[in-house]
Amino acid sequence: MIAAPRFRLSADDRRNLRTALPFIAPWIVGFFAFTLYPIVYSLYLSFTHYSGFGDATPAGFENYQHMVSDSLFWQSLGNTLYYTALAVPVGVVVAIVLALMMNQNVREVAIYRAAFYVPSILPLFALTFIFIVLLNPGFGLVDYVLGLVGLPAVNWLGDARWTKISIVLLAQLGAGGPALIFLASLRAVPAELYEAARLEGAGPLRRFYKITLPLITPVILFDLIYGTILGVQIFTPAYVLAGGTSGGGAYTTGPENSLLFYVFYLYKSAFQYSDMGYAAALAWVLFVISVVLSFAILRWSRQWVHYEGA
Amino acid sequence: MTLLPGRGITASLIAFLVVGAACSTGGGTSGAPLPGCNSGTKQALFWTSHTPPDTDSEKHIVDAFNKQSTTTCVKMVAVPGSETDIAKLTTAVRGGTGPDVYELDRFTVAERAAAGVLEDLTPFGAPALASNYLDFAWKEALFKGKPYALPDDTDARVLYYNKDMLTAAGVDVSQLDISKGAPTVDMIRTMATKLNKKVNGKYTVVGFDPRLNQGWHYTWGFAYGGSFFDAASCKVTPDDPKIVQAFKTMFWDWAGQLGVNDLQTFESTYAPDTPPLPTEQDAFLTGHLGFVVSGDWVLGWLSKYAPNLHYGITYIPVPKQGDTPATWAGGWSVVIPKGAKNSQGGWEFMKYFAGEQGQRVYTQETQHMPTWKSLLTDTSLFPGDHKLFVQQLAVAHSRPALPVGALYWDQLTIAQSSSEHHSKDPAAALKDVATTVNAKLQPFCPIAT
Repeated sequence: MIAAPRFRLSADDRRNLRTALPFIAPWIVGFFAFTLYPIVYSLYLSFTHYSGFGDATPAGFENYQHMVSDSLFWQSLGNTLYYTALAVPVGVVVAIVLALMMNQNVREVAIYRAAFYVPSILPLFALTFIFIVLLNPGFGLVDYVLGLVGLPAVNWLGDARWTKISIVLLAQLGAGGPALIFLASLRAVPAELYEAARLEGAGPLRRFYKITLPLITPVILFDLIYGTILGVQIFTPAYVLAGGTSGGGAYTTGPENSLLFYVFYLYKSAFQYSDMGYAAALAWVLFVISVVLSFAILRWSRQWVHYEGA
Repeated sequence: MTLLPGRGITASLIAFLVVGAACSTGGGTSGAPLPGCNSGTKQALFWTSHTPPDTDSEKHIVDAFNKQSTTTCVKMVAVPGSETDIAKLTTAVRGGTGPDVYELDRFTVAERAAAGVLEDLTPFGAPALASNYLDFAWKEALFKGKPYALPDDTDARVLYYNKDMLTAAGVDVSQLDISKGAPTVDMIRTMATKLNKKVNGKYTVVGFDPRLNQGWHYTWGFAYGGSFFDAASCKVTPDDPKIVQAFKTMFWDWAGQLGVNDLQTFESTYAPDTPPLPTEQDAFLTGHLGFVVSGDWVLGWLSKYAPNLHYGITYIPVPKQGDTPATWAGGWSVVIPKGAKNSQGGWEFMKYFAGEQGQRVYTQETQHMPTWKSLLTDTSLFPGDHKLFVQQLAVAHSRPALPVGALYWDQLTIAQSSSEHHSKDPAAALKDVATTVNAKLQPFCPIAT
């Protein structure tokens, strides 16, 4: 058995460290003050009743216990998981298709790449407003096109059955980002594999399923985990679509609460109902859910992710 | 090459100073007087979440105050927010960069006071002003008997109807004359049904959409004689049988009859919430609605954007002939958030803004109603139909001023939605509201307002 080498710094290393530390100190201080401290503080708050002002009063596990009987907690969790289960796989497929299109060997490919990528850098807030106009059941482009092909108009944002699907569609406008990562992985696939397959008589579909797809599975795994973590935090489109208000809009969280996503409920608990303790507890439960989902996907990935050279 | 440690430390210090300087800006409320302010005055920051045309009028009041004040110079800033969403205020106050005066929906004053966001106005002498204000408006500004706000306006809801549309449909509009008392729900339903019109399967005209505009749970609950709060037991009572009946008739039955999805398609087209249409395209003003429950501010819209529309005003429909008509009055208020840097200056401005001078300007320019009692007797402020609204104030209800007001509103809205969609029986939905809200309310009981 070989003993692990001891970690020792030479005099040069120590001098370099002393030089480097002041340079990275602003980041370290920032990390402790603006990231680590809020994380620890929110854990503390989750065991208190706290309005955001005055003193927090200890509450033990009350906030966590309340979730069990809180129908809005379950509804928001259900809405969020429904959305994530739909948006993440659809997002992966759309991103791969976009990447394949960006990877075509045509002269204007740079223009296409830019065109596909541009929507993903637009602010989500602005995109949502554009989407509202596109999905309007009276004069929106989407229902107009559906009408042209003989399909019935859909009340995308007013019908509880379609609101979450609308947001899944909206999320695809941001597929340009992951598509770029897929594009990089597509270009890393050795060309000789395709040549050999072509010589053996494999068609484009067969080459995609037998060569491309297995070789980009590590990126698919990354996108699944990343998409899931972002998916359970869905907030902005629902906030914009539902007006984010009470007393003004017809619905505070979409028809039949269909847009009451987890983080939206967390936001309302914190800033509308002044219940920071409960909001902090919600945040920690969401963190645990994210971790569990990520590990589940990682474990599942052993069955289908192919690491080249592994 | 290795950098000398001393240089690294210097660089770090500079970085800290830059970050520190960036963090320290933005919180001050003092400085050189703004244009229009008198020299030697100290700045007070006023935040409002209103939008034009209301903010135009508020700016006029601020300018008039600045012109006459020798101590305070008010800077007005429009900020994001809404009736119950005060995220911007909460985070700013917590960060020490909040305003000196904030305009807050009055029915949430008790809730924000309970949360500790607002300053108690007793030390400023607010109790001495109580007798100047309408009683219900003043009570909404209290929490545990102490004033936390000055009420700056109020409103009332009525039923507007389009005379031309109804006449064209063969309805005798003289039946709706306000002198004949409140119409019944059945009467309005019969008239409204004649106006419904569909093109290609979609409504282009809806006679009456009971949930649109001010067709809220509170509106119909009060119209049916319901009570939303029992002070004796300190419990909310959304499951009052009269409120349950209101939900059943106005949301379950009516929306069901029109088809809730068809109704939503109509609303998304002609009366969307997000983004809202410009006022001149309001569904009632453009002839897509025959009736609408709305407030006095619509008078200003009508005169500005639809001067040729022949409209009438009457009471909100009642369940049975001869029932006492009901409406409810809301309104806003001005408060001093915790940590205000110039609270005395803010108070001076509040007294003016929510006092006789400020409310006179606001009433004249926005067609809202004042909460300053003496102004209500000045008939020159209420030309034409506006005086009908003033008469309504005498019998108007107001939402219970509770430390869980926003939660209660949201829960009622959820129950309304499930009733309209027939996903939950109104009685069961309202029972759920009672359970949820009372659980959050109990720690604040008893409530002495």
